[in-house]
Amino acid sequence: MKQTKLLNILAKVKSFPSMPEAAAKLLKLLDNPDATAAQIEQILRYDAGLTANLLKLTNSVYFGLPCKVGSVTQAVVLLGWKKLIQLVMASCVNAVMGKPVPGYDLPAGELWRHSIAVSVAAEGLAKELKVSASEEIFTAALLHDVGKLVLGGFVKEDLEKIETEASRGISFEVAEHMVLGTDHTEVGAQILKNWSFPPALVNAVRWHHDPDSAGKTDTLVDIVHVANILCLMIGIGVGREGLCYKPSPLATKRLGLRTNDLEMVASWTLQYVDDLCDVFGS
Amino acid sequence: MRYVVVVADMKVGKKEDSIVTYALGSCLGLTVYDPVAQVGGMLHAMLPLSKINPQKAKANPFMFVDTGVPKLFKEVYRMGGQKARLVVKAAGCGQPLGKNEMFKIGDRNYTILKKLLWKNGILLNAKDIGGTGGRTVYFDLSTGRTIISSKGLESEL
Repeated sequence: MKQTKLLNILAKVKSFPSMPEAAAKLLKLLDNPDATAAQIEQILRYDAGLTANLLKLTNSVYFGLPCKVGSVTQAVVLLGWKKLIQLVMASCVNAVMGKPVPGYDLPAGELWRHSIAVSVAAEGLAKELKVSASEEIFTAALLHDVGKLVLGGFVKEDLEKIETEASRGISFEVAEHMVLGTDHTEVGAQILKNWSFPPALVNAVRWHHDPDSAGKTDTLVDIVHVANILCLMIGIGVGREGLCYKPSPLATKRLGLRTNDLEMVASWTLQYVDDLCDVFGS
Repeated sequence: MRYVVVVADMKVGKKEDSIVTYALGSCLGLTVYDPVAQVGGMLHAMLPLSKINPQKAKANPFMFVDTGVPKLFKEVYRMGGQKARLVVKAAGCGQPLGKNEMFKIGDRNYTILKKLLWKNGILLNAKDIGGTGGRTVYFDLSTGRTIISSKGLESEL
């Protein structure tokens, strides 16, 4: 029974939409140290919608650029091309992440809002803690829950069983695993693998609820882990399962996190989330 | 009118209005109601103390319990509410699993609320506080009824 369920889930993962072509090409550039702004422009030239969204995002209050950016070239100069590619990713996944998510009972737009919030909180935490985390932090945080889009329907079918397991005081993703044979972190990591995303991103999505099991410790994973729980706590993207997740004491220790840092980042996150969500009209 | 209170926000209304706030996690949802004047208000505050970010508190006092709660009461008084008649109910202040003190923002929110009420001689009439459940609060200003929805179940507070 569980085996059939798992096969059905894996089939759904396989048929999940592929990454838009422009995004896939840009992602390849990330591994190329000689990539140029011209190459980025070349790829974006054929996608006017994407370019428009990208420029809107670049000009949002969040990035605090001193002047209005009107071209991709200018955006590359001001933000750096690695950052820019992260923003392209955000523009690309906006449509799919904006859908309502059954099972977790997230209305349309709420997973997207949560994802943006975790990106903002993750970058905020990195800054507040003065830890060096890669540019990929924004995308890792943005996509951490992508697995919920596939798993939601299956969670809905078995909600009663999953909730019964979770009511024994275990974390919701552990309860998912017990009932469905997988959880939204595994499913999300598989989607990113199918999209040929870099291993660091796959890893961050896979272990965002259980950073201590991530093989070797990784600041990126720890930060996404903490940022996610913080955003749920402040009510952004809280679904049916509520706060039924467990913060890792080891991860907070590794990061040197203090209560003040957490509250400080929370106090700044909200406004930027609204700014960034406005860009996409949601 | 049907008002929606977002995170770090407050709304007041009178008879025939209703107020709702969605997705309380560790935030505090507080309702204040005068059944005679049929006026009331709801606060959705995120963090306990404004000293963490005074600049934000100035721009939006409703983000913090210590600045948001007094503002809520003042607004309800301004609408004609009287202190002696007020019915005060609290919801939210949840926490994630585990014993990590750092993540007990919900606990701290509730502690600050209790201190403020105690200092001002105001009783808390009902509460649905703590746990891991997310909560949505519906507040009907004609009757003062406060309904909490959590994990698909509704109950009156």
